[in-house]
Amino acid sequence: MSGKSCEEALDRLYEFIDNELPPEELRRVSEHLQECSGCDAERRVNEKIKQIVSGCPKESAPDDLRARVLAVIAEARESG
Amino acid sequence: MLEAPRPYAVVPGFFPDGELGRLGTFDSRGPLGSWAMDAARGTDEYAAEAEAFEVLALSFMDQLYAAALRMTRNPADAEDLVQETYAKAFAGRDKFTTGTNLKAWLYRIQTNAFINTYRKKQREPKRTDAEAVEDWQIARAASHTSAGLVSAEQAALDAIGDIDIREALAEVPEDFRLAVYLSDVEGFAYKEIAEIMDTPVGTVMSRLHRGRKILREMLADYAADRGIVNHRARPGEGSTDVR
Repeated sequence: MSGKSCEEALDRLYEFIDNELPPEELRRVSEHLQECSGCDAERRVNEKIKQIVSGCPKESAPDDLRARVLAVIAEARESG
Repeated sequence: MLEAPRPYAVVPGFFPDGELGRLGTFDSRGPLGSWAMDAARGTDEYAAEAEAFEVLALSFMDQLYAAALRMTRNPADAEDLVQETYAKAFAGRDKFTTGTNLKAWLYRIQTNAFINTYRKKQREPKRTDAEAVEDWQIARAASHTSAGLVSAEQAALDAIGDIDIREALAEVPEDFRLAVYLSDVEGFAYKEIAEIMDTPVGTVMSRLHRGRKILREMLADYAADRGIVNHRARPGEGSTDVR
């Protein structure tokens, strides 16, 4: 294994995690991750961060905002 | 007895009991005004399309509000921002092409509104990408830390609470924070984020890269502060066992 494949895998890690890699690079990076525990540990930790950020509970729009938006739409209809 | 207008019937909880009373200034056909007017203006298809647009646009309100909170970092500004977003969206409704991605279109309007209106009010001084690069001198990772250090970091991440994550994300400089939010929370593709932020895909990638590195550092700091880990398993430090 060469440092160069670590370099590529780490360089493209976010694209790998975000499912943005073209097929050929996806194949190369996947293969490298399978055989390099250091790079794969990086993948796991970055995936975990993505997962905890996405899993954070989301706030709902307050009722008064809904009322304000309805008023805005009514206004747009009248002037439209 | 007034009836809720048709669009809201399919958005659960959108039109709770009593809402009509508070919106009593509208005409008797409901808060949206006259559907008949649309029918007169155009055809049944026009009315159906307008209705579909409204229902779909309104279904994104919770998401837009949560995003607005991440942008403005305070509820009052977030509400104003979402209101402005819908005002602009409905005023410019003709510019939306039916069949294209309405959610991304609304996010783009909101992002523009945030940059133009609210960013000026923010206490956080706008950091340019260049400044941020100096601060966080992040070279392309050419090496990784030892797998053991990363395992410790992973264990620490498991123990971090939602509030810490929100706080850490709020500390990430704005453009980076938004890119991370749009990707991780909203699941937009790079190309969509580029359109929303009106920037090339390469810039999106570099913002994501930097935003995530900063977030990771901050989460490691939170873990250390909370005593979750004894040492700071900071990314980029420790042994580098490039093979």
